[in-house]
Amino acid sequence: MDSALIPEGVNRCSFGKFAIGIIIVGGVLLWGVYAMLLIWLKGLNQTNMNDYYGFALWIWADLGVIALGGGAFFTGLLRYIIGKDELKNIINYAVLIGFICYSSALLILAIDIGQPLRGWFIFWHANVHSMLTEVAFCLSCYFAVLTIEYIPLILENRQIDKVPFFHNLAHNMHEVMAIFAATGAFLSFFHQGSLGGVAGVLYSRPFAFREGIFIWPWTFFLFTWSAAAYGPCFTLFVTRLTEKISGKKLVKQNVIDLLAKISGWTMGTYLIAKIIDTWYWATVSAPSMGFNLIDFYSNNSFYGIWILVAEIVICGIIPASILLTPKGRSNSTLLFTAVSLACIGVLLNRWVMVLQVMAIPVMTFENWVLYIPSWQEVATTILPVAYGIILIMISFRYLPIFPQERELNP
Amino acid sequence: MKEEGKHKKAKKYGMVINLDACTGCGACMVACMAENNVPFKEDESNKLDSIAWMRVYKLTNGKSYPEADICYLPRPCMHCEGDHGHSPCVSVCPATATDYNHDTGIVSQIYTRCFGCRYCMVACPYHARYFNWWDPVWPEGSTKYLSPNVSPRMRGIVEKCSFCFHRYQLAMDKAYVEGRTVLEENEYQTSCTQACPAGAITFGDLNNPEHKVHQLAKPDNKHGGRPGNPNVFRLLERLGTNPKVYYMSSREWVRRAGDNYLGDEDFAKTHRH
Amino acid sequence: MKIGRRSFLSFVIGGAAGSAFTPLPWKLIDDSSIWSQNWPWTPVPSDGEYSQKNTVCTLCPGGCGITVRKVDDRAVKIEGMKGHPVNAGGICLLGLSGLQLLYGPTRVKSPLKRVGERGEGKWEKISWDEAISEVAKNLAEIRSQGESHAVGAIVNSDKGTVSNLFKRFLTAYGSPNFMTTPSIQDSYRMTISLMQEVINAQAGFDVENADFILSFGSGIIDGWGSPVRMFKANSAWKADGKKVVQIESRLSNTAAKSDKWIPINPGTEAALALGLANVIITNSLDSKKISQSTGFESFKKLVQNEYSTDKVSKITGINSTAIVSLAKNFAQASKPLAICGKGQGSAPGSLDEFMAVHALNALVGNINEEGGVWAVSEPDYIKWSDPELDSVASTGVQKERIDGAGSEYLHATSLLNRFPEVINSGEGYPFKALFVSDANPLYSMPDSKAIKAAFKSIPFVVSFSSYMDETASNADLILPNHVYLERYEDVPTLAGLSKPIVGLARPVVKPQFNTKHVGDVIMLMAKALGGKIADAFPWDNYEACLKETLGIKWDALVENGFEFNGDKCMLEGDFNFYPEAMKSLSDFSPVSIEGSALSYPLILMPYDSIRLANGYIGDPPFAIKAVEDTVLKGKDAYVEVNPKTGKELGLTQGRHAFLYTPRGKAKVKVNLYEGIMPGIVALPRGLGHTAYDKYLADKGCNFNELIGSVEDQVSGLDAAWGIRARLTKV
Repeated sequence: MDSALIPEGVNRCSFGKFAIGIIIVGGVLLWGVYAMLLIWLKGLNQTNMNDYYGFALWIWADLGVIALGGGAFFTGLLRYIIGKDELKNIINYAVLIGFICYSSALLILAIDIGQPLRGWFIFWHANVHSMLTEVAFCLSCYFAVLTIEYIPLILENRQIDKVPFFHNLAHNMHEVMAIFAATGAFLSFFHQGSLGGVAGVLYSRPFAFREGIFIWPWTFFLFTWSAAAYGPCFTLFVTRLTEKISGKKLVKQNVIDLLAKISGWTMGTYLIAKIIDTWYWATVSAPSMGFNLIDFYSNNSFYGIWILVAEIVICGIIPASILLTPKGRSNSTLLFTAVSLACIGVLLNRWVMVLQVMAIPVMTFENWVLYIPSWQEVATTILPVAYGIILIMISFRYLPIFPQERELNP
Repeated sequence: MKEEGKHKKAKKYGMVINLDACTGCGACMVACMAENNVPFKEDESNKLDSIAWMRVYKLTNGKSYPEADICYLPRPCMHCEGDHGHSPCVSVCPATATDYNHDTGIVSQIYTRCFGCRYCMVACPYHARYFNWWDPVWPEGSTKYLSPNVSPRMRGIVEKCSFCFHRYQLAMDKAYVEGRTVLEENEYQTSCTQACPAGAITFGDLNNPEHKVHQLAKPDNKHGGRPGNPNVFRLLERLGTNPKVYYMSSREWVRRAGDNYLGDEDFAKTHRH
Repeated sequence: MKIGRRSFLSFVIGGAAGSAFTPLPWKLIDDSSIWSQNWPWTPVPSDGEYSQKNTVCTLCPGGCGITVRKVDDRAVKIEGMKGHPVNAGGICLLGLSGLQLLYGPTRVKSPLKRVGERGEGKWEKISWDEAISEVAKNLAEIRSQGESHAVGAIVNSDKGTVSNLFKRFLTAYGSPNFMTTPSIQDSYRMTISLMQEVINAQAGFDVENADFILSFGSGIIDGWGSPVRMFKANSAWKADGKKVVQIESRLSNTAAKSDKWIPINPGTEAALALGLANVIITNSLDSKKISQSTGFESFKKLVQNEYSTDKVSKITGINSTAIVSLAKNFAQASKPLAICGKGQGSAPGSLDEFMAVHALNALVGNINEEGGVWAVSEPDYIKWSDPELDSVASTGVQKERIDGAGSEYLHATSLLNRFPEVINSGEGYPFKALFVSDANPLYSMPDSKAIKAAFKSIPFVVSFSSYMDETASNADLILPNHVYLERYEDVPTLAGLSKPIVGLARPVVKPQFNTKHVGDVIMLMAKALGGKIADAFPWDNYEACLKETLGIKWDALVENGFEFNGDKCMLEGDFNFYPEAMKSLSDFSPVSIEGSALSYPLILMPYDSIRLANGYIGDPPFAIKAVEDTVLKGKDAYVEVNPKTGKELGLTQGRHAFLYTPRGKAKVKVNLYEGIMPGIVALPRGLGHTAYDKYLADKGCNFNELIGSVEDQVSGLDAAWGIRARLTKV
């Protein structure tokens, strides 16, 4: 039925099966859209946020998807700037995933503000001291870059490519892609960092606050670094998932291996930095504000020291070790475990840097405050996931995302 | 000399709250609500979403009966200056919707500018900032008592104590008409200060040695406004927020409750710097 | 031109791209944000001419002066009146919330006649003429049947012109049943009349000059006396290093702010006072001139024989050394002052306790002295000639009062607490009609069930309430009064003031609804009834009556808002340590509370909070908003329980529990509080309203539904300070 649109030489499931898939995921998407409209119409009272949880699930989701979407800029950086040519076989997918992540983040931000109609004040009345201003500017710019990076891919659709104008446009865009990749990497460095800065500059929140250099707290660098380390893991994770679902090998092992290895090294070095940072914070910064490390992990029913162990050891050191050993990388189960753990690890890190910051009492006469999101918050957080799945389904079906697919599946 | 002249010009309005005198009666909270058109809803018992620019906390000494003791602590906005010139909330607002006024030391909130990102609330360790989760709704007829001096806030934005800044403006207007540029101490007082039946709140210019707040707190401006009076403390002094609300208590456990200390830390030493 | 798919698409895309370069989208974005800044449903208060007006707050008996800020004809803020002798610019949170009562949703907006069942909430709006003739018709009928004495009125106090108009109306009509809301003022008045042999005197406390305050559970900063005055006194004591000792089984705000908190077994305060008296007498620390007083020797014998320090220590749970040192410190202070009346003093309490404490004051020689207790004469500016009575009235007023005041209980003038039981038991005569003004007995009287039953048996209940309170919503007719900010009224204030004051409430704004001054309504009722009843009210209207009554004071009152006699105005009398009434009836024996310890192992006590109005006025929205979340959460009230007791009962913080007393049951939440004596459960007064508006109704439970009245043997007043209780897990 839609075979004319499907890239040449590849097999895709029947249109019926595809349509059913779209409808199921579309249902979830509509649920999310319904919640989103509720929130826009009735206001943020639809959430379980409160004056103690100014930031909650959504900000975590924002920070999370942007960290996971970090595969796009880092792979781009490796491919175009550093010249790891093999990565051209996975860069399209990395860009697509990045595009999804960043568009989701922007959407969530638009839901998350109390006065969406005034959202543009962040640009118009910008306060240059605010990390959020930096986030907004870099995020929007980088999203534009990702769109530019994604457009040539759309243009490569069999039917669109037939139009000479689009064909040439795509070609020319590819030619200059290195410039955009460089821009993207630069912007990403800042917005990933400024997202880290969002928590790190909070000098009145001892759990979040980190010293730093110049205007940037250490979390600025840690966030960028962790996005570079963990983002590619998410690219690998989704690639592997796509391979499993489509039942096809889509990217050659050497490409996977290379990205996994680079990711492993980045992760390893990140973890060293993170451990030093945690150590310094626990023994110097926090005590200077009157807190012992254990104060942040006790007297409540959820946040224990386990969360620190889970983030740094189970979802940090373990996956990094797997990714750093050739054996680990070549064993597909181990590799998949490693990238999955890594994704959880970075999400955990973003969680504690948002939600745990809110939970911990700072004034001595206050108590821990825990929070459970409302269904509207959950639905709007799942909304981008559903949207992402649909975009991947459509892109995978109609666009030549994986250059090696034909070769691997003759 | 030059330094001194400069100091005279810039005011730093602040408060000293005498916790020995404070009875926890809540008049300050209601005086504030009535002055500032603070909305209310059917259930205000969830203090996590109940707008109270001034909130009275109840502190306990943690001891068992009959050694137990309690103390009330009224908490307005601290109007932090920050040790390095950045109050925690002002520096993070992405849209410049909250501002530090260098003439008065008052942290303002511009309701029509705020777009409700709530980053400032995250930054404030005192929970002095409140979000309008709901549209404010007054029962039929009740809008009649709304004061024209303070605009009611719309849904989706942050609000907080302004040290009754409109009173400052009104006082300044009056002074200007009378050909003066300087306000007397009693010309500008916040609603809570005025109402407090125990006289526990003192308000004035911390930079003015003639003002009672200065005499009580003895702020050391060279060291981030630290109080010189040993019975005076500020909340979370160690974080470097440099707040302009000082508390006074003769009880050590109360002074200690103002900040976090490590178990083996010598409170007296840390407190006296 | 043929429009193909391609050209159509080009047109749309081109158009969209083109529009982006016009100002249109930017204008729309800008407009939408401007719209969000001016949402029509967010009110914009109108500006206008500013003015202010002084008047008196009548929301509690404190008598504070207030200044109301106005913008045009709108009142926008209430503030404490600067320079007022009672509150000197200070104000409490209830006074601050007054405008919410004026403009709030709980107002009764016109006369209402019940059309459904009682309490069903179905009303018909009627005109004032209809309302008055309805009352007159009923009253005339009752009178014609010779049952004029079966008509009564419950009002806030017996002071002031409005109360006296009510009293006069009942007299002219032919009924002795003028009842007032009880408080510790009744107990103090009786104490002074018995021990000092002066009548119509109130206790005034010269707190400003006292230097050692011994409080037997009085909520000095929890609303006792005139609240703002007490706050100010408390601050002054602190500043001057004067001492306050609080005797109470719960760490109240007052206890926490005192210099020494001495927990005591509840209900044993009188024993402690007598024990202290014993130490003082035994150590010859008493004021020498007082030992010549009547009854001193018998009193001395009593305390020395019955109240030895060891025995008192056993009764009160306070160790002997503490008792001795307290007695010595108290007696050796230069201006010691002992006060009593628990919490805010809304429950009269046991007369023994008042007398014991009064004796203690006498022992240290502070009666009518600086810093002491003064017998203050009640204002007597109302000098109306007695009404001429017709034959029905003369017969009617001769009948015994239904509550037994003046007959069964000789010293009492009104015993509202006995009213429900007398009615329900059928002991008294059947009651035909009841007026309620400035009172809300269905909420604020102990044993709500009994008072509700009593109301049920009265065929005609008229409420004069401005608000749809519990009593109004269970009335047959509501004749709404103006609220205090809309009316003239004299406000004589005693409330423990050493120098009483008469304030004048004045209309700050014009009446907001179709309401009428209750004074005018009384006169209209009298006129409608005609004859001698009408003749008893020679005034044109209430304002004329008030002006005439105040006479030369009027101008000063209008000028200042209050009339204040700065001189001491105390009445001297001979002190009697051991009046006959004491000897013959109670011999200072303690009041036992209701319930058996076996089935009710705990003791439930009320506590008062200044943030919770518990009388005729309920908490307005601002005040209820200021209530802590450890007192009220959602629809649940918290009871305070010592963690030890909590552990024994398996109750943890925030858990639901059932609270049972012999009088009722309530679902509560548990707040484990280290400041309360193990074995005691404390519940705040002022919650659990069923009427008013959604901001107040159905929040927590009403303490009065859980407690009954215990008659004091001497006074007949309610002496209950608690009730036995049981607390179980849900």
